[in-house]
Amino acid sequence: MTVSLYVNRKTWVHQLDGRTKLLMVLGIFVLAMCFSHPGYLLGVLAVVIAGLAVAQAGANVKKIGILAALLVCYSIVLWPFFVNGKTPVLGLQLLGVTWEGCVFGLGMGMRLLIMVWGGVWLLSTTTIEELAQASQRLGLASRVGFVFSLAFRWVGVLLGAGIGVIQAQRARGLDLSSGNILERISRYVPLIVPLIGHTLRQTNLVAMALECKGFHPIASRSFYHREKLKRRDYAVLCFLGIALGMGAWLKWQGIGTLNIRF
Amino acid sequence: MIVSCALFDPRRWWRDLTGVWADTRLIVIIAQIAAIYAAILIPFKAGIPLIPGFVELRPANAIPIVASLLFGPAAAWGSGIGNIIGDCFGTLGPASVFGFLGNFFFGYFPYLMWGHLGWLSSGRPPMVKSWRQGLEYGLICVVASGVCAGIIGWGVELLGLLPFLVLAPAIFFNNIVMGLFLGPPLLGFLYPRVQRWHLRYEDILPYLIPRVDSCESSNTPTPNNNSLSLPQEGTNSPLLTCRDFSFSYSRNTTPALHNMTFTIAVGEFVMLLGRSGSGKSTLCYACNGLIPQMIPGKFSGKVHVCGNDTQTFPVWKGAKYVGLVFQDFETQLIGTTVGAELRHPLEYREVPLSLHEINRRIEQVLSTLGLEVELDRDPLRMSGGQRQRLVMASVLVQEPRVLILDEPSSDLDPASRKRLQLTLEELKSKGLSVLMTEQDHGDFQLVDRVILLDEGRVIWDGQPNALLANPELMRQGGIRPLPITECFEDFDCEPLPLTLEQAWAYSEKLQLMVDPPAEVLNDTVRFGIPVFPRENQIAPIIQVEDVSFGYDEFPVLQDIYCDIYPGEFLALVGANGSGKSTLARLLNGLLVPTDGRILVDGLDTLTTSMKEMARRVGLVFQNPDHQIFADTVWEEVAFGAKNLGCSQEEIGDRVQQSLKAVGLPFEEKSDLDPFSLRKGERQRVAVASILATQPTVLIFDEPTTGLDASETDRMMGMIRELHREGHTIVMITHSMSLVAAHAQRCLLMAKGEIIGDGSPRDIFRDSVLVRRASLEVPAIPQFSQRWGYTLLTVNEVKASLRAKVL
Repeated sequence: MTVSLYVNRKTWVHQLDGRTKLLMVLGIFVLAMCFSHPGYLLGVLAVVIAGLAVAQAGANVKKIGILAALLVCYSIVLWPFFVNGKTPVLGLQLLGVTWEGCVFGLGMGMRLLIMVWGGVWLLSTTTIEELAQASQRLGLASRVGFVFSLAFRWVGVLLGAGIGVIQAQRARGLDLSSGNILERISRYVPLIVPLIGHTLRQTNLVAMALECKGFHPIASRSFYHREKLKRRDYAVLCFLGIALGMGAWLKWQGIGTLNIRF
Repeated sequence: MIVSCALFDPRRWWRDLTGVWADTRLIVIIAQIAAIYAAILIPFKAGIPLIPGFVELRPANAIPIVASLLFGPAAAWGSGIGNIIGDCFGTLGPASVFGFLGNFFFGYFPYLMWGHLGWLSSGRPPMVKSWRQGLEYGLICVVASGVCAGIIGWGVELLGLLPFLVLAPAIFFNNIVMGLFLGPPLLGFLYPRVQRWHLRYEDILPYLIPRVDSCESSNTPTPNNNSLSLPQEGTNSPLLTCRDFSFSYSRNTTPALHNMTFTIAVGEFVMLLGRSGSGKSTLCYACNGLIPQMIPGKFSGKVHVCGNDTQTFPVWKGAKYVGLVFQDFETQLIGTTVGAELRHPLEYREVPLSLHEINRRIEQVLSTLGLEVELDRDPLRMSGGQRQRLVMASVLVQEPRVLILDEPSSDLDPASRKRLQLTLEELKSKGLSVLMTEQDHGDFQLVDRVILLDEGRVIWDGQPNALLANPELMRQGGIRPLPITECFEDFDCEPLPLTLEQAWAYSEKLQLMVDPPAEVLNDTVRFGIPVFPRENQIAPIIQVEDVSFGYDEFPVLQDIYCDIYPGEFLALVGANGSGKSTLARLLNGLLVPTDGRILVDGLDTLTTSMKEMARRVGLVFQNPDHQIFADTVWEEVAFGAKNLGCSQEEIGDRVQQSLKAVGLPFEEKSDLDPFSLRKGERQRVAVASILATQPTVLIFDEPTTGLDASETDRMMGMIRELHREGHTIVMITHSMSLVAAHAQRCLLMAKGEIIGDGSPRDIFRDSVLVRRASLEVPAIPQFSQRWGYTLLTVNEVKASLRAKVL
């Protein structure tokens, strides 16, 4: 079973260097943190949406649509109960809900959406290997990147095996949908145990397999992709630098930030 | 290494948390924990809309605490990375940093407090077996859950995403519930097994110091970093030499190999033949230094590759000279794309290879192996045969001098086996030395020499044809002789025929002909069991009516019609991907048709509950490890009967009967841990657990895959016995010799359709039809067809061979 969000396209976003894409997303996250006013966050959100459109990642946005919508709704609905303001919302005064709180909630919902869709943009345009390589070139230990890509591959294998395990136990009459919550939790034991047992049983074999392919924790690693940043990368990084500079200046000036008390 | 028990000892934290990155096994464990955590988390995250820990409880949250008590600091890293991977399916962002930290400590604190030499540890294994241990476990659950919830809640509020007072209590509650209710049974099952596999953190700790020092080898020099000296081209010096090599695994007193002495010359193709457990894999592991460097034990004698002792160079450096493809080749796949898989071994080089050189090697190896796939293709989307060739390519891309293949054809269907032969032919033509192990004779065409192993000793070393012509010796080594040779064993002649052509010529020479007596061709009775006449006499037990099925937009089965009758032994035959396994899952209601309907005992599988279906149709899966979860064989076998609501007394009776039916003695085996049994026995436990639900129909999915000749005979004997007792048997297989030997009826499948339905004799009569299913008619029917008959087994031929009447 394949679980990666990567969308195999040849858009110019896909052709950006992994480091550029990683820095771009980090920059977007920082920009989102600079503002709490929905109007300013809308501008950042527009950049992310444009990025998703160029990357042709609409299918992934749809895939996580319900989850993203729920998260955003929770943020919008819950924040007003925790934020103080001056203008009470008619009918909700007793709960302490104010217009300022609602605006803040809306802003935080948008910030959350920027972060979720920013992550989707990165994962839709960058393979796991590219990410691991970019992380190492930005200073992360290569072993960490390697473990990340190894685990990512096994997730697909385990999800496939998980279907087999569920079928095998259902074929013996296991019913996951009936009973109270504790009974239902306990019924996950026959599903989780074979999955873990089967995986751990292979630990020694996998370790041997890795060393047979030349891997060792102390071995130095060179990457196949050793390209230097191209003109388009510098252009994107320049744009990012300017945007971050502007964001920092606006933040410094207190523009785009709601004055909120908790 | 002494581990301090102080909870707040930063030096210990640092040593623990950084030390795990120095050992390959611990790195694998980190990745495994991360993958397990993410794999259990993702279905809840992607499939069910929820806020982390708020709407839905997630079983994944029990993993960090359980893993922590088993693997210590490796669990901390694994849980943190697993959480980030989970976020990669929808919620990756700055909050993932706090998710990482929260789960990191959730996976580290239990170990610090209750694990090996932990603050609360009484020195006993960290399992909940008494009230006191229960309280201790509860305490660590509360502390670890609190730390995790606090970090994530604080971080997410800091980012302004969700309020602390909403998220932190939800995470805390979620962790506590899963930790308390799911943690103890998981820990109770896993701890003894992980201990047996020597994978607990404290078991691996001694290996963090140079591991070769800990081997019990009497004469093991420390691996050095010197490069190997390769023999000069054209010289006769052997590439691989074993001299008086013996080895015993550290947990076993009986040697796995005794005084092995042999050589492999440049360009030689050697096959190592032997039954399961004869020492073949042990020898493979010794040839590239895995034994004794990664598998400790008692080692004596010498193993040299290219004139160098395998104990003197690290395995990962020797990979450039000895390429090893494991029997379970899937474990060697590590990349998420074909390109990454092939580039990875070339990226770990002391002197980095140029891009030109990397590209040259990849192109060359892909062309040699005939692997025409895009470099950005996901290996999981490739067929089993293609994946095996990809692993072979990732080994060959390092340009080793010797290629070792451990049972490469055991899991392949006939078409993939044929492709493998072509690949090996190509490699041989390029002058590569090959050492290949098998537990069946397979195809000897390319083999220069065969070494027959039995109980760790060489019992034969010579020309393949000389071995094939000696069926008695093959049986002694646990190898099934060629059926065509067996037919003429009783005739006094030398040498025995090895091919169809030789057999026909031999028959001519001896003036023999096939003239079967009437009872041989009588297909109304097979093995003393009447084959029920199908038409209009008894009602079918399963009716498949115009059934189609597909995954998303991909059709798998199209317009299937068939009836299965009570008491039949039906073989469902076809190449990989023909739809056999999907049809089997439709027959017991695990899948439901997209069109048409299936009636079992008159009940529609679409509207009947799985419990009801389990009483009628039992499906034994190919891999028993996908279902075994209980502590004892008894509990495992009882699981199905318990689910059906049987009384304790009835469960006991059923378990006893089922174990007896599969030939596992109740008194000896019922208290054993099923994980401690051999694969053949685990397969029997799986069958017994299905039998305990007392189904009328038993479906076996590839029951003999990976088993050697004697294990296959035992398994098929058991299935035949179940058939004799009155069960309807449906067996999925691509082994035509099994069909010929055992089935009463055969359904031939190709590309999601049934293309043939009849007795094996009828099916094998039509070789064009069989080839349409990418299969081959076995040698015995082919041999007899020269005289106009289609015989199925050696015994049938023996009973039918008679002198020509001139």
